[in-house]
Amino acid sequence: MSDNFEPRIVGFLCNWCSYAGADMTGTSRIPYPPNIRIIRVPCSGRVDPLFVLKAFQEGADGVMVLGCHPGDCHYSEGNYHARRRYALMHRFLDFVGIEADRLCIDWVSAAEGHRFAQVVAQFTAQVQPLGPWNGLQRRRR
Amino acid sequence: MSESIQTALRTRARELLELGEVSCVIGYERSPRGRVRPAFIYEPADADRLVWDNTCHHNLMVYLHDRKTPPRRGEEVPRVAVVAKPCDVRALNVLLHEGQIAREKVFVIGVACAGMCEEGTEELQARCRRCRERVPIFYDALVGEPPKVTAVDEDWADVVELEGMSAAERLAFWTREFDRCIRCYACRQACPGCYCFECMAEQVDPLWVGIAIELPEKAFFHVMRAYHLAGRCVECNACELACPMHIPLSLLNRKIAKEVEALFGYRAGGDPQTPPPLATFRKDEELPL
Repeated sequence: MSDNFEPRIVGFLCNWCSYAGADMTGTSRIPYPPNIRIIRVPCSGRVDPLFVLKAFQEGADGVMVLGCHPGDCHYSEGNYHARRRYALMHRFLDFVGIEADRLCIDWVSAAEGHRFAQVVAQFTAQVQPLGPWNGLQRRRR
Repeated sequence: MSESIQTALRTRARELLELGEVSCVIGYERSPRGRVRPAFIYEPADADRLVWDNTCHHNLMVYLHDRKTPPRRGEEVPRVAVVAKPCDVRALNVLLHEGQIAREKVFVIGVACAGMCEEGTEELQARCRRCRERVPIFYDALVGEPPKVTAVDEDWADVVELEGMSAAERLAFWTREFDRCIRCYACRQACPGCYCFECMAEQVDPLWVGIAIELPEKAFFHVMRAYHLAGRCVECNACELACPMHIPLSLLNRKIAKEVEALFGYRAGGDPQTPPPLATFRKDEELPL
């Protein structure tokens, strides 16, 4: 794949930790790749697998689901459910041909501005060599 | 063997209807064309229509709750009897667990099953060769003797073969398979686990699946349907048998079943006490993400 390919990444960020963490990254003036398009959700447990597949279908090259660290969920247990859901989803998407590296689930707290930048940079670098995602995709009109 | 099961089934069905224990017996009958099809017996005199042989592959649990016309408020849900193979009973177990049916509304006529054959052959279906139980895990009445079949170890060969391919090859494989889909939804209608009043495939707001009969819509439907059955699919294979385009849907379901067993040590429909894996969690578990 060409080196100047910039992956389009959709990030589902939980309102209470990861979104605030991303905010922290910004207010701390820490640079991070502009590839991520952030969608704020109430909780990582709110991220229906439909969202992830839909994102891939509508032209995302990679999808991130970021939530509070296990044990820190604002709603006590949302991220535990998300953890199970995406551990399975990961393997299943790989099976239908969407490389496992295109999906990422991780935990970023509201204080971890540095970590957010790091996680996004890492994931962007991970998706970049895979190239654009063209399979099972809706045609662009 | 199937002769004696058939006789016993008819006797039992007649008895239940005569005593008024149930309003209907759901079983199998022979269609005018000679194939076996689901039968709904309301009168004791009709009990002799019931048949049993190695082509009774339909999962009758799908008829237990009528998703198109749910009972009105205050209306009594009729008690029915249903002929159930071991795999069907596991599907019923899932429905019971999810509160879809009340146990006392179903009389389970369990059948000791020697396996179902591929259509038009005398060869057992692959899923029946892998079957781990020949007698239903629960029943109200059991028909037939447990057949002497040596259980085989779970064999994931078909799934492993696809796993061995590269992601691009797998994508090409599924593109080819999904492309044949005509979106008839027969897989969904045949599935006992697919009981939503409004399927995500038919939701309009938000529109998850467009109305076009194009690859992205078809792929989306099949991938999401399989995932909605994660930890719930009992591998009765009703979807694949119903598919007019012969899409290997069981591969999707079996991949998930394999991972569910590896990650959570859970097998759908087996144990009425354990909640399905995606409806629960353990705080201390380490899952590879």
